[in-house]
Amino acid sequence: MNELIAVSTGLFAGTITGIVPGAGVMVAMIIATPLLMHFDIIQLLLFYMSLASMVQFTGTIPAVYLGVPGETNSLPAVIEGTKFNKRKMAKLAIGICAVGSVLGSLVAVAITYGLLSVLVEHMTVFFSNATKFYLYIFIIAFCLLVYNKRNILVNLVLCAIGFMLSVPGESDISPDFRYTFGIEDLQFGIPLIPVLIGFLIVPTIAKMLSSSNPNVFLPNVDIGFCKVIKHFRKKLIPSSLRGSIIGYLCGFVPGVSTVLSTNASYSFEKKLHPNNPGKLLVASETANNSGQFASMLPLLLIGIPITGSEIVLYSMLVDAGWSPFQFDNVSNNADMIFRQIVPWFVVANIVGLVIAWPLAKKVLNVFANSKKYMIVILGIGMLILNTYLGILDYRVWLYTVCLFVFSCMGLLIKKYETVPLIFMFILGNDMEGVFFRQMLI
Amino acid sequence: MKIKQTQGLIASIICAIFMLGFLVTSSTPSWWELGSSQAETPESITVINSGKAGGSFNARTQMYKDGLVAAGYNVTFENVGKISMAVKMFKQSNEPTMMVYSNNQVYKQDLFHTEQNFIMLEYQQPLYVCRTNASKDKSGALTVAHGKGYDPQLLTNLLGSDVVLVPYKNSGAMLKGILGGDVDMMVNNQGKSFKYMASGEGTCEASDTLPKMGATVIGKNIDLQELRKVIFEITMSLPFIEYHTKRKLFRPSSTWQKELALTQELEKGYEVK
Repeated sequence: MNELIAVSTGLFAGTITGIVPGAGVMVAMIIATPLLMHFDIIQLLLFYMSLASMVQFTGTIPAVYLGVPGETNSLPAVIEGTKFNKRKMAKLAIGICAVGSVLGSLVAVAITYGLLSVLVEHMTVFFSNATKFYLYIFIIAFCLLVYNKRNILVNLVLCAIGFMLSVPGESDISPDFRYTFGIEDLQFGIPLIPVLIGFLIVPTIAKMLSSSNPNVFLPNVDIGFCKVIKHFRKKLIPSSLRGSIIGYLCGFVPGVSTVLSTNASYSFEKKLHPNNPGKLLVASETANNSGQFASMLPLLLIGIPITGSEIVLYSMLVDAGWSPFQFDNVSNNADMIFRQIVPWFVVANIVGLVIAWPLAKKVLNVFANSKKYMIVILGIGMLILNTYLGILDYRVWLYTVCLFVFSCMGLLIKKYETVPLIFMFILGNDMEGVFFRQMLI
Repeated sequence: MKIKQTQGLIASIICAIFMLGFLVTSSTPSWWELGSSQAETPESITVINSGKAGGSFNARTQMYKDGLVAAGYNVTFENVGKISMAVKMFKQSNEPTMMVYSNNQVYKQDLFHTEQNFIMLEYQQPLYVCRTNASKDKSGALTVAHGKGYDPQLLTNLLGSDVVLVPYKNSGAMLKGILGGDVDMMVNNQGKSFKYMASGEGTCEASDTLPKMGATVIGKNIDLQELRKVIFEITMSLPFIEYHTKRKLFRPSSTWQKELALTQELEKGYEVK
């Protein structure tokens, strides 16, 4: 019964967190703290697992319909999902993502089960600087070679802008603040949300406004679930399997985990099938779920959190009586994963599939009825979100100025794919540290 | 019409849940704690949280906040989450204010422990020097992971000039680095060093030479001695004792004067020359 309560509340929280842009797993964990204080260790793990899994399902809905990334790992869903929406096929996009997510989760469980002893023995390989170094080389190469019709010069400029935006504030390798120009708020770097809104959402809104069609949110073609399954089985299984494996491996990389899973898988698939939004979408979303499961394993097996939300979970686990020193307990932890976590993980994914599908239909009805007014709501919503997060971060003026500046820049470069810029902005600081350490080691 | 009503209802429920969530987390004062014992004339205090979610500063600040509310204080909780911004807010505050602090921050933040702000030395812990089993027979320069804020000169004096210092963002990143095989040695805090020893990959020793970290509580615009009594009582509560015991933290409880003197002595070790 206790497990059911934990999974149910986790799924509920995940459903809401996924459809509210900007509300990630970490935010949900913090908001749910008063409830989680009463949970035991297994309940905490089940809550987190259900929450994180469910977010992957419902997070696709605003990404596809609104072009708004719920989290940084939703970027491919935004880019490819909106292409489906323009063709009145948003429901198909949601469907194949949901099915792919389930497949990704199951593949992740299967790999873990099959390779558990190898994983336990060699898990720390993923922690090494060299692993991150080569993965970043791979990501940079793909950023340069894949986007904007393979225009390397344009991609290079976008990468450079993204990296420069990541530089102000405290670096990964030095305690000093740099390039703050006397602005104290810049000591903590340029905030993420204005960058995402300015370079991703504002250009999308501008494109919607300039569209000749007065109805921006077109009535979508109603596609049955069986047809989605059939389409998936016929055309998307190889992409989904590739995404599962890439996502699983990248999921172990500390700090970037599912962001890397999604984007690496997306970039790889884009190289193989540059003009197939379905395969690109499925590969990235499958990788997301697969990576999510993999990212939990270092914490579950050896007690080392590798993502921000896991650090919050870890703190709660220790408060609930979990020993911070899990290295002596690996076999018991492995047993716990397969006996107590995995069965509920499978249930959570099936529930995710069941919920995401009708929920998408509801959301579709709302958007289809509201038509162009949704653009206004979206614009105002983003402004409120930016201001609210700025207030929470005690840097509301910086958030506002950044939003204005980046929105203008976003409009100027609206004809380009800005993914390389955003990706370099998110990972720039970490990349700098990894490259610097690689030179020393 | 029915569909629209249903949609409206769903939207209302979602909004209500999130409003509730935000109310719960941005409590000033925490409404769910109003049932706890209140003094007749509640004293107000601002508690600044300088730590990130999941970190020790955050966890301890939350426990202090809960303890102060239970003791009858009207607590205004400022959830800043960044040490330098928290220090700035602390310096500018004209109201009764307290926050969790530590001696390894004093030079960087330019906020030192003095008679005007010191409340308590909560615990102290040494830095540990860990070495991988694989590097025991290694000849040549050893690679040493250290926190980016550590004084390189101090580390070179301790470990010799024939080492390559590799800076990491924080203690967690260092632990992952040494487990991943990046470096031969690391200089890390007690918690992460214990974890490393538990991995069986290497050994650690507490350093007598490197400065000890002292976790403190500071305040201003309030009777520090009165607040110290309340804070001390809070640290003797079960959650705090469990927190210290689990992490094997040493509590140097003494008089206010002696704790201040010890803290001031310890903080000198972090001066970057």
